[in-house]
Amino acid sequence: MTDLSRLTLGSTTDPYNRAAERGWDITDASQLTSSLELEADVVIVGTGAGGGTAAETLSKAGLSVVLLEAGPLKTSSQFDMQERAAYRDLYQEGTGRGTKDGGMVILQGRSVGGSTTVNWTTSFRTPPETLKFWAEQMGVSGCSVEEMAPYYQHMESRLNIHKWPQTPNNNNGMLQRASEKLGYSWATIHRNVRGCLNLGYCGLGCPVDAKQSMLVTTIPGALDNKAKLVHRARVVRVLRDGDVVKGVEAEALTPDVRGTTGQKITVRAARTILAGGAINTPAVLLRSDVPDPHGRVGKRTFLHPTTLTMGIYEESIDPFYGAPQSIYSDHFQWQNVHTGPIGFKLEVPPLQPAFAAGFYAAAGEEITQSMAQLNRTQCMIALMRDGFHEQSQGGAVEIDDKGQPVLDYPISDYLLEGVRRAFNVMLEMQFATGAQSARPAHKQAKHYATWKEAKAAVAELDVAAHKATIGSAHVMGGCAMGDDPKRSVANCDGKYHHLDNLYIMDGSLFPTSIGANPQLSIYGLVYKLSTNLLSQFQA
Amino acid sequence: MVGAAALSTMSAGATLSGCAPSGPASGMTILRPEDVELLRALTPAVMKGKIAPGDTARIDQTLQSFDTLMVDLSEPVVAGVLQAFDVLNMGLTRGLTTGQWSAWSKATLEDAESALARLRDSGIGLLNAIYAAVIRLIISSWYLIPENALTTGYPGPPKKVTRVAPGAAPVEEVTQ
Repeated sequence: MTDLSRLTLGSTTDPYNRAAERGWDITDASQLTSSLELEADVVIVGTGAGGGTAAETLSKAGLSVVLLEAGPLKTSSQFDMQERAAYRDLYQEGTGRGTKDGGMVILQGRSVGGSTTVNWTTSFRTPPETLKFWAEQMGVSGCSVEEMAPYYQHMESRLNIHKWPQTPNNNNGMLQRASEKLGYSWATIHRNVRGCLNLGYCGLGCPVDAKQSMLVTTIPGALDNKAKLVHRARVVRVLRDGDVVKGVEAEALTPDVRGTTGQKITVRAARTILAGGAINTPAVLLRSDVPDPHGRVGKRTFLHPTTLTMGIYEESIDPFYGAPQSIYSDHFQWQNVHTGPIGFKLEVPPLQPAFAAGFYAAAGEEITQSMAQLNRTQCMIALMRDGFHEQSQGGAVEIDDKGQPVLDYPISDYLLEGVRRAFNVMLEMQFATGAQSARPAHKQAKHYATWKEAKAAVAELDVAAHKATIGSAHVMGGCAMGDDPKRSVANCDGKYHHLDNLYIMDGSLFPTSIGANPQLSIYGLVYKLSTNLLSQFQA
Repeated sequence: MVGAAALSTMSAGATLSGCAPSGPASGMTILRPEDVELLRALTPAVMKGKIAPGDTARIDQTLQSFDTLMVDLSEPVVAGVLQAFDVLNMGLTRGLTTGQWSAWSKATLEDAESALARLRDSGIGLLNAIYAAVIRLIISSWYLIPENALTTGYPGPPKKVTRVAPGAAPVEEVTQ
């Protein structure tokens, strides 16, 4: 077994410790005592994968850029690998975000760097099957494998994305062994890390800045290029004059980002880029009451609905330590691209204790006895590829009477069939590698001692919304790009169809889910879109 | 987390059928006296094997952690959770949804287990959602306490020191 609690880590790497020396212009909106008015060539709403990439690209060309972020600026000096502070400070709604009926928990980042500050570093180019489907079925142009390749290459180089060279931890190793044993395809994951210490705390903020998140790459790059960063500033609406967008209006949040201080921030800009992610970007548009003649804003939101099984082994797994994701299997992913049952990708998650306990969704001795063996527990997850089949239309982002976003994502029978099938696949994999017991993530399930017993039990389970545990860490879509304004929100340059000077540059542009962890899909697409936008200024 | 929108109808009914919800309990920021009573009853059932019904110290510690967790969640999530608690607290809906017709302060461990099982096994999705949210919050509250996390075979995270000499190696192994 491994014991990393004996390690002591220093934080010599935090680039924000030298912010003053480097002349960075950073404003904490919670400290404003009067309203703030700014002007820029470009205002970018959100500092995640989309906003960070756009900010560096545009500021490097000499444009003045203002970045607005609703979350706080938290940096590696503060990342102490404790779960409570990380969930409170770095996640949307303190990890309490869920779908409207509570059927799914949604993990999304909310601090400078967005979800890239807390993701597990898994980096895939958009799968060719997905790009082909977009071109053939969703009216997307300019995004073929060949056309996208240089943009992915650029971002892979910028973020040091490379195949993980170290031995997978046992949690991932078990996915590899099971795949080999059962004849399933598998491969090693590419990660955006530099000098990774293989600790396993990517989800709580990298304590040594090894993860090449936006927080330590493109945002410092943009700040070096004189971009201004205003954090704890929540954008309420876009400002417009007729059909022309003129900037945005934001409200300052309190230090804990749970309330407002009453101060306003107004940014007037020649171009406005929304990059708040696939829940907050449609929410800004809905709050702004923008023209939407075909009712497309916030529609077809996708989640990679994810379910899991837990297996307990005799040997130590230590699933809380080591690179969280290093092995995956697409064996069940692409049998049918858009016909037939839903496909899913197999991966594993890191299991720090409170996170694991929440994943278990069990009570009584079922949870306490299981959790007592967490160091010998392996977890498989199946990420469903939603949005390709006609029975998979995803969800819709709405705003409530206070303007807060709500995602209505009905859990369909089509999806639930995939959940039951995934339970069986993952349980068989765990028993095939010697699990002493295994349990599907279903409130009425328990740990079963054999594959035969588990298979019989899964056949009898009421696999329904709320009973089966389903979650999401990948929110995509809701502002689909495409050439046809009847079916999309933005054109293939990311420009909003019905207003001028308004652009969308984040995962909300995806017309379906990606079928892979989406960060590199966002980086590559936004690098392309922001490079194209530059030509407007240079013309 | 619980589906605040769906809950509002049911908890409005719960509020009408009972007395109006009160302010925070003593020593709590968000949890109300009736929530504390409810959670005192449910916590030993959810954490069976770790917390005995009479173990007030551990129950109180978990409730404090629960209250802190509520502070850390967002306003819409907290509203949804409190509406779920209204359903479980108010006489008529408490009895109908959980079978607990007397006050939670009178509930035995078996009563609490039976109440949880009814919510879990119900054919009504909203009650399943309440079950999922309540158990997730209780178990998270317990395992978010660092000493409890160590009962899982987790040795804990590396130690983080914020100030080290410039140029020092980023990692040093501390020998015991």
